[in-house]
Amino acid sequence: MFADVLKRGRSLHDPVGGWSVTTLILSLILISPFAAIVVTATDNSGGLWSHLMATVFPRYVANTLWLMLGVGVLSLLFGIVTAWIVARFTFPGSKILEWTLLLPATVPAYIIAYTYTDLLEYAGPVQVFLRDMFDWSSASDYWFPEIRSMGGAILVMASVLYPYIYLMARTAFRLTPASYFEVARLHNRNLPFTVDLPLARPAIIAGLALVLMEVLSDFGTVEFFAVETLTLGIFNVWLGMNNLTAAAQIAGMAFIFILALVVIERQARRRQRFNDTSGRATVLPAIPVSGGKAVLCIFLCLLPIILGFVIPVGVLLSFVVKGLAITNIDALLSATVNSLTISLTAAVAVMTIATVMILVTTYKKHPVLKALTTISALGYAFPGAILAIGVVSFAGGVDQVAALLGASNGILIGSVGLLVLAYVVRFQAVGHGAITSGVNRLSPNIMSASFVLGRSFAGSMAVLAPPLLRKSLMAGGILVFVDVMKELPMTLLLRPFNYETLSTYVYQFAKDELLEESALAALTIIIAGLGPVILINASQRNKT
Amino acid sequence: MTIYGKCKDRLSPIILAAGLIAGIVSVPAQAKELNIYSHRQAFILNPLLEDFKKQTGTKINIVFASKGLIQRLIAEGSRSPADIILTVDIARLQEYAKKGLFAPVSTPLLKANIPAHLRNPNGLWYGLSKRVRVVAVSKDRVKKGDINRIEDLADPEWKGRICTRKGSHVYNRALLASLVTAHGEAAAEKWARGLVANLARKPQGNDRAQAKAISQGICDVAIMNHYYYFLMKKSKNPHQSKWAKAVNILFTNQKGRGNHINVSGVGLAKHSKNRALALKLMEYLSSKHAQSLYAAVNHEYPANPVVDASAEVLELGRFKSDKLPISAIAKLAPTAQRIIDRVGW
Repeated sequence: MFADVLKRGRSLHDPVGGWSVTTLILSLILISPFAAIVVTATDNSGGLWSHLMATVFPRYVANTLWLMLGVGVLSLLFGIVTAWIVARFTFPGSKILEWTLLLPATVPAYIIAYTYTDLLEYAGPVQVFLRDMFDWSSASDYWFPEIRSMGGAILVMASVLYPYIYLMARTAFRLTPASYFEVARLHNRNLPFTVDLPLARPAIIAGLALVLMEVLSDFGTVEFFAVETLTLGIFNVWLGMNNLTAAAQIAGMAFIFILALVVIERQARRRQRFNDTSGRATVLPAIPVSGGKAVLCIFLCLLPIILGFVIPVGVLLSFVVKGLAITNIDALLSATVNSLTISLTAAVAVMTIATVMILVTTYKKHPVLKALTTISALGYAFPGAILAIGVVSFAGGVDQVAALLGASNGILIGSVGLLVLAYVVRFQAVGHGAITSGVNRLSPNIMSASFVLGRSFAGSMAVLAPPLLRKSLMAGGILVFVDVMKELPMTLLLRPFNYETLSTYVYQFAKDELLEESALAALTIIIAGLGPVILINASQRNKT
Repeated sequence: MTIYGKCKDRLSPIILAAGLIAGIVSVPAQAKELNIYSHRQAFILNPLLEDFKKQTGTKINIVFASKGLIQRLIAEGSRSPADIILTVDIARLQEYAKKGLFAPVSTPLLKANIPAHLRNPNGLWYGLSKRVRVVAVSKDRVKKGDINRIEDLADPEWKGRICTRKGSHVYNRALLASLVTAHGEAAAEKWARGLVANLARKPQGNDRAQAKAISQGICDVAIMNHYYYFLMKKSKNPHQSKWAKAVNILFTNQKGRGNHINVSGVGLAKHSKNRALALKLMEYLSSKHAQSLYAAVNHEYPANPVVDASAEVLELGRFKSDKLPISAIAKLAPTAQRIIDRVGW
């Protein structure tokens, strides 16, 4: 009956019409850079593939899969275990751990890689200490794990990427209605595995998807650790063989791989929907624990924080404190202002666009629109530098048109606006994931009810989205903010003249392994992320 | 719903779109300015550019990026604001030239300042500094005269004693390309295989990291660019100066073709709107003054033969460089990369 009303409502006003067109245009804009990469990939790669297949390609694929598997499993463990502990129990320090668990998200993967190497390599303090202690004189006297390895890459990447899963899972655990547990308890079922995990699955998967895409597209860490993944291969082919076509083909294949994962996951959960239609937002109160249980909880929560935050920040601090950090404060200040401004702009842009697109596709239920929206949120799967080339090619086309219309210097390339566009293309996945898991928890009747009450689609969005999706908006927006603060390859290539952000500032020194010169700027990236992280936590704590 | 409400609803997407477009319109650059796309970090160029600014009053704008500037230039086409392109290796210079992104330039001054083997025959690019790919050896564990040729690094006596960064790095790729020119592809591959078999550890880190590994006793021999030795030696970081102290620097193939070199260089962007001023900057960069300034900052060998290297660099003594036209190396880079893929360097 509701559907009938809705249908009539639509035929009278078509409340979604204008917005559908907007969504269509937005998704096409976001997909255009991918399309530019695909166009590059259709060129002739000059017979490079037989060489690649016979030599490096199988290794690239195998390494990429191992890395994705390793980081995926480890960050799921870190993320889900800590989220569940924090959501279900209270113990001494739980309030603090709850937000400190988010801190590793502020540490860029390439910086954690540098700091771990500094700490754990042969000349690093750890091995020096061990040699002194046991009187070993050279590397052949003992065994020590090599940090520049697959294992090292898995450890450091999972240590900074798990917060995506933690944040989404925690929100989901907290929002699970108590009634579900009551039913499960009556049936004498294992609560975490019958209620918590299945209900949090969409959120966990959304977080995992981000983690895996980040792993696939990472260049800085794998290059530093000499782990030969597809992304490293893309750069060898592009810059070593001057063959952008073959590089785009590899990037395209990786993209299709991610697309396949998304489709498989969609199929797998097609029949599952979790709406709480009771209207009773009673959630399970956290159980107080103490003694041994509390110690275990604290240990499990501290572990990823130490790995992903305390250690890298400690190493950076030691650089700064040792007085080795020679920093141009003026340059650092202006880079900080640029970073904060552009990250905030990008976060607002991503979340606005993601909300519009997802609300429209959810309530319009147009399959093509839905598919386009999903695809437009996969920019994360491309290595940043390749995506940057897609963006710059697309912007070149736009500028060409603009030139015909009179703006002879073009409007996009070299402007801050292009950077914002690039961030939206790349981080749409983050916004999309956050809003989707938020919308999935809403009753489909809410929008319909709003239509019946005579509100337009825009009015319904404006009235309903902020209160109902507030947590998702904040969570997504802050993740985007932190992500943009850390983003390097796209910023580097697409920025205007004389424009430094904190990450480009760090990079110009880190490129020559002048870590001391860049330590203060690297710390600033992390510090700038702390405020938002604390903010997000506060917003997640209050009820919906 | 009122009519106004309906209109507003229809219009709101358009207003949103208009807002987005308004937010991204850029501001055009002003006159008496030069725009540089650089593969080299701005902080290294600044002393030179400040000096040029003092002389000519020209404001200089820089975008530094290590990858993809070629694609940015292509996308910009004739609208590109770039006047000058600076690169740190020959393969990249050649790639700009091949893609038709440089305008040919020939002024008497440039030709006089930069020797023929360090510039493009058609004047598409000019080398500005020479970077010598030397061998660093442990002061304690390697005797003088043990290594004379780069070819020696493939000898089995060095098994488990050599460190390098990844083969696919531009510096190693160019070195391998020089071996392809000298001995042919098959022999170069055999050499690379021998080298890989001799490695003490998986190729990793940058050039400084190799000297560091020698100072730590992980290996005895490393391949690196010569200026890193001096940058480390003069570093305010006591660790780095220790790494430099642990090694001797050897020039290879001094009795034969000479030591392999790479160049950093400059080209004029095809669509430069300030040609005259850009040429002035190119000439300035090749001039005696700028070349010696540059030599002092980064310890590279000046491309201009009348300018000496920095005093520290001269302590290493004179050396003979491979006189192979530098462009031949750029052409062989893809071949070298294939060898690197095959031998897993």
